[in-house]
Amino acid sequence: MSHSDISAGPDTSPGQAHSRRGAIALAGLLAALLVIPLVIDNAFVSHIFITICLFAALSTAWNIVGGFAGQMSLGHAMFYGIGAYVGMILFQIGISPWLGMFAGAAVAALVGMVISYPCFRLKGPFFTLASIAFLEVMRVLALQFTSVTGGATGMMIDLRLGWTWMVFRERWPSLLIVFGMLLITLAVAWAIRRSRLGFHLVATRERESAAKAAGVRTVRVRLIAVAISSALCAMLGTFHAMYLTFIEPAAMFSLVFSIQIAMFALIGGIGTVTGPLLGAVLLVPITEWARASLGSSALGLHGFVYGMVLIMFVLFMPNGIMSVIKRFITPKPPTDEPTTTETGPISAPAKAAEAPSPDRAGIGSDILRVEGLNKNFGGLAVTRDVNFTLREGEILGMIGPNGAGKTTVFNMISGFLAQDSGTVSLRGPDGQFHQPNNPADFAALGLGRTFQIVQPFAAMSVEENIMVGAFHRHHDEKNAREAARQTAWKMGLGPLLQAEARGLTIGGLKRLEVARVMAMEPRVLLLDEVMAGINQTDVRRAIDLMLSIRDGGVSIIAIEHVMQAVMSLSDRVIVLASGEVIAQGRPQDVVRDPQVIEAYLGKEFADAHA
Amino acid sequence: MTIKTYLTGTALALALASPALAEVKFGSLYPISGPLALLGEESARGLEIAVDEINAAGGLQGEQIVLERGDAVDNNQATGEARRLISFVGVKGIFGSYSSARAIAASQVSELAGVPYFELGAVADEVTGRGLEYLFRTNPTAAHMGADSITLLVDSIAPGLGKSPEELTLGIIYEDSSYGTSVAGHQETHAKEAGLNVAVKAHYAANSVDMSSIVLSLREAGVDVVLQTSYQNDSVLFLQQANEAGYEPLAIIGGGGGYSMQPTADAVGHDVIDGVFDVDFTQFAVNTEATPGLEEFITAYEEKYGTAPRSGHSLANYVGAKVILEAIAAGEGFEPDQIVAAMQAVDVPQGATAAGYGVKFGENNQNERATMMGMQWQDGRLVTIFPEDAAVAEIRFNN
Amino acid sequence: MTTFLQIITNGLMLGGLFAIVAIGLTLIFGIVKVVNFAHGEFLMVGMFLTWMITTRMGLHPFASVILVVPAMFVLGALTQRLLIQPLMGAEDDHVQIFATVGLSTALMNLALLTYGADIANTPTFGLRAPIELGPVRILTGQLYIFLAAIALVIALQLFLKNSQTGRAIRAVAQHRVAAELMGVNVPRIYILSFGLGAACVGLAAVLIAPLYPTSSNIGTYFVLTAFVVVVLGGLGSIPGAFFGAMVIGIVDSAAGYYIGSGLREAVVFGLFLVILILRPSGLFGKRMTLSHLS
Repeated sequence: MSHSDISAGPDTSPGQAHSRRGAIALAGLLAALLVIPLVIDNAFVSHIFITICLFAALSTAWNIVGGFAGQMSLGHAMFYGIGAYVGMILFQIGISPWLGMFAGAAVAALVGMVISYPCFRLKGPFFTLASIAFLEVMRVLALQFTSVTGGATGMMIDLRLGWTWMVFRERWPSLLIVFGMLLITLAVAWAIRRSRLGFHLVATRERESAAKAAGVRTVRVRLIAVAISSALCAMLGTFHAMYLTFIEPAAMFSLVFSIQIAMFALIGGIGTVTGPLLGAVLLVPITEWARASLGSSALGLHGFVYGMVLIMFVLFMPNGIMSVIKRFITPKPPTDEPTTTETGPISAPAKAAEAPSPDRAGIGSDILRVEGLNKNFGGLAVTRDVNFTLREGEILGMIGPNGAGKTTVFNMISGFLAQDSGTVSLRGPDGQFHQPNNPADFAALGLGRTFQIVQPFAAMSVEENIMVGAFHRHHDEKNAREAARQTAWKMGLGPLLQAEARGLTIGGLKRLEVARVMAMEPRVLLLDEVMAGINQTDVRRAIDLMLSIRDGGVSIIAIEHVMQAVMSLSDRVIVLASGEVIAQGRPQDVVRDPQVIEAYLGKEFADAHA
Repeated sequence: MTIKTYLTGTALALALASPALAEVKFGSLYPISGPLALLGEESARGLEIAVDEINAAGGLQGEQIVLERGDAVDNNQATGEARRLISFVGVKGIFGSYSSARAIAASQVSELAGVPYFELGAVADEVTGRGLEYLFRTNPTAAHMGADSITLLVDSIAPGLGKSPEELTLGIIYEDSSYGTSVAGHQETHAKEAGLNVAVKAHYAANSVDMSSIVLSLREAGVDVVLQTSYQNDSVLFLQQANEAGYEPLAIIGGGGGYSMQPTADAVGHDVIDGVFDVDFTQFAVNTEATPGLEEFITAYEEKYGTAPRSGHSLANYVGAKVILEAIAAGEGFEPDQIVAAMQAVDVPQGATAAGYGVKFGENNQNERATMMGMQWQDGRLVTIFPEDAAVAEIRFNN
Repeated sequence: MTTFLQIITNGLMLGGLFAIVAIGLTLIFGIVKVVNFAHGEFLMVGMFLTWMITTRMGLHPFASVILVVPAMFVLGALTQRLLIQPLMGAEDDHVQIFATVGLSTALMNLALLTYGADIANTPTFGLRAPIELGPVRILTGQLYIFLAAIALVIALQLFLKNSQTGRAIRAVAQHRVAAELMGVNVPRIYILSFGLGAACVGLAAVLIAPLYPTSSNIGTYFVLTAFVVVVLGGLGSIPGAFFGAMVIGIVDSAAGYYIGSGLREAVVFGLFLVILILRPSGLFGKRMTLSHLS
């Protein structure tokens, strides 16, 4: 899954002119969608443009779930159908579709959330297949419950003309309505993409665990996305029912229709704001042309051509039209950009920090208490009765041989893994201890973490990656961007702000990982081997940086193998071996502890030095 | 910019087919791709033959008829094609559409545009039930099919089986689109009115790959007479699976669709389908005394398409189109109101068309003289047995 | 009781039908990890080939297996090589789904273009003759399908377990990158697997053609059910797909009788959803690791 957006994505100074040009092109395109049919004033031309607007809008709405959230639904006709049926049923009892539209939207949003909730744990094709199955079930039910839906014979409206009933003899009012709906849908998509919600969705799509660590309530944001997307589809469904004046289950809950909706987004550029629009603008006329010019010559010819066109599109523009456009309007092709992945130096604070010590001034009372933590994986005890505390403003080093259970402890004290027994209490800003049980709640209390195996949002830029973290504190996109930039420069990522995360070196990714969590402005920071893979000079700088973070009042637990760092950073160290805390105390004392030496180097070695 | 290019492309493609002088255009709107393609195409052929005949005889008021084809593969496309035909091609009327759903969708458009729509083959009640001003239907409907299948059962089959109709247990099975649903609804109503016992009423998706459970349900319920309204695949499937399960009801009455097609008989086996009844549009093994012009139609069809007609759909469309075109020819002109006036003047008596029935548009512009016929598969052929004046064979009973 | 037995028997035979169609899909889905929407059209192509060979050459439909299966293998291999493989590097793996949707549309309409909308009847050669087994009846052809499905499952299992290529295929299915590091030529394995999957559906086509009239849209009747079967069986598990097919066959048959034929699709898809949500790894699949943490 991929693609950040160009027209609605982050604007940067060099890109600004291009994005303005893009905006003008978009405005021109939209104007053409309205002006051409009004000028030509022909019912068929209007119909094609109405179809374009309808598909563009449906596809844009689909894209909120299918693109931004990365949930590849092929059942979206369901929401369109719900909107159509609700609108139609209300029409028949004398309620204007202008109201029915919202009723349909509410029903669809509800249905969308109810059926999506259990499906979010399904990955990739499984989610897709589930969405198809829901659509099929819906169609069969619509056929079955004849008294509500009219069954197979469908429902039709008597031709009450006028704006109240959304039924017109002329084409232009319908065009106007659907065009307006397209604009609204695009505006919604655009607003989402730029907003906190949009960043959360894309982050969740790119890497769910990292998103959770950044405090994203991944299920909630996706449910919101589904609700918005379904509601928009339903409103379009109501419109289309009034436009068609006749609906039936086979047409309203059609898999082919669902696939079409998704396809326009895919061909235009999945996950982009304007891609679905481009896809529909390009493909609908091709389809109509194929049918008008080939349809009568031979049975199935136009369908064959349509299939081949689709294959060609997919083969030659697998990343959508938008990616091709992007290549043209990006000032310099990425290959020409020199030293893209070269990070700048980490900016260490000017004044030296106070040397670490367990009873150093500035260390306050307990902020995190871990008591009796036990975890078994299939009978294997990974941690056994782990107890420790972290004090405010303290750096606690956590060391231990591979497989000692350090990362498991991290996962439990950040809500990623439920412990079998024991408690993790975190003191909140309110001064009370809480026992959160999921990553988002931990994050809400001010806990941030990094991952040992870096988890960047690959398709997002460095800036956007950090913004995901920054959105934890800032609701406004502008502030989040500003905070992200500051953090980036501090972390030596300034020159790379616009680079895609997937292009970074391991060292760069490690820094990005820290920058993202720093942007959350955490009170407690869990760092999992952030020094691994960065060069010697930067290790020194990173140590200084961490000390300055510490002096900012942040409490830190660091898993680290770089002993230089552990020794010079940690106020205290705890040593984990085979899931148990075998030692804790001052770093100098701990490394001399025979038990520790044994755990690291084996019994003979320990005996020899005893 | 892109859009303009494509639009111009579309416009050009269409402009190439723009009218020469002394031509009058009509639309031919059928599903000619997708799952309904087979009988959609078959229906369209009937219309084409009617147009050929009228053109050969000098056309409409001296103008040659040009048919512009539209493909109504789904409802949105049906409305789109109707709009294209009306506003781009400028047709004076549209003929269609085999499928009821497509007919309903497309005629809503033509009605708003005030362009006449001639339905020659779709059977659902709703096609004419909406009280449209510019829609005329020449063919018999689901109501006829439902009523006639019960009449056939009560008047001919039950006596032939030596039973009183009330003794028989009926099972009504039908595919779940609007076609099967509306026919089955009428069958049930008429059966109840006639005091018959309907033990099973079940629908299924036309694209089922298995109907063995329905067969079992029918057998368990002791159904003697099965009425099935179906497309081709499901007709074949039901007949085969019933036969293979050893289920032999006293009578099977098919409602059109697959039951009227020779390939169905070939697929099922002539011995298996032997004795099965069918109520449908007029088919080809019929007493031509009652259907003047039928032989000429068959000849014309074979000449044009190189095969025998595959089902009576082409005939029904041919008959309807011919009556309508002749009426327009006799009318004042091609304006919608002139055409409507011409339609209201239509008065073709019973027994004067190749389908046997007459044409007179009554309530809701439905042809009130349209009737269906009863047929039976005998020795691999579908022969007409009902009504008597059109019959070419006696009803046979196996028992 | 007889009715009940007959329902179960019908269900098993229907299951055999679903199984033989779904086994090829399981291979493709499990190994190449592509949702192949054109699978139904592969079946359709195979059935038309069988029909042509049988009617033109007057052979027993089963004899056409020697031509149909290799032809389908080539079709599958070409699909992977020319359509899927170029898309493996796309930023978005959903692209592959749409590539197969395009292929499905193109093939279906190509068949319509070539053969028209008429149904094509493959001669049955007695395959529709019922056999009485105690109180229940089955068709000779159905029995062959059922047995062939079992044989195919066993053959594929043996191939995957014991042969060098089979082991390479399993390695790729389990962990593509690891297999690549071990020197397995992954693209070749993908082409082979896709071809193998298509060849399996070719075998299915040969067996099914005499029992079902062939038409351009016959594939759409099977494809969704085949997906249901594959997922129920557990990703890529061939015996799983077989048993999944049996479950779906029996449920379908019983629902058609006890609940109503109009709702059988809803029951089958409903069951599918319930199982998918409760056990995403399928009825018979091994539990997948849910997170890549720790």
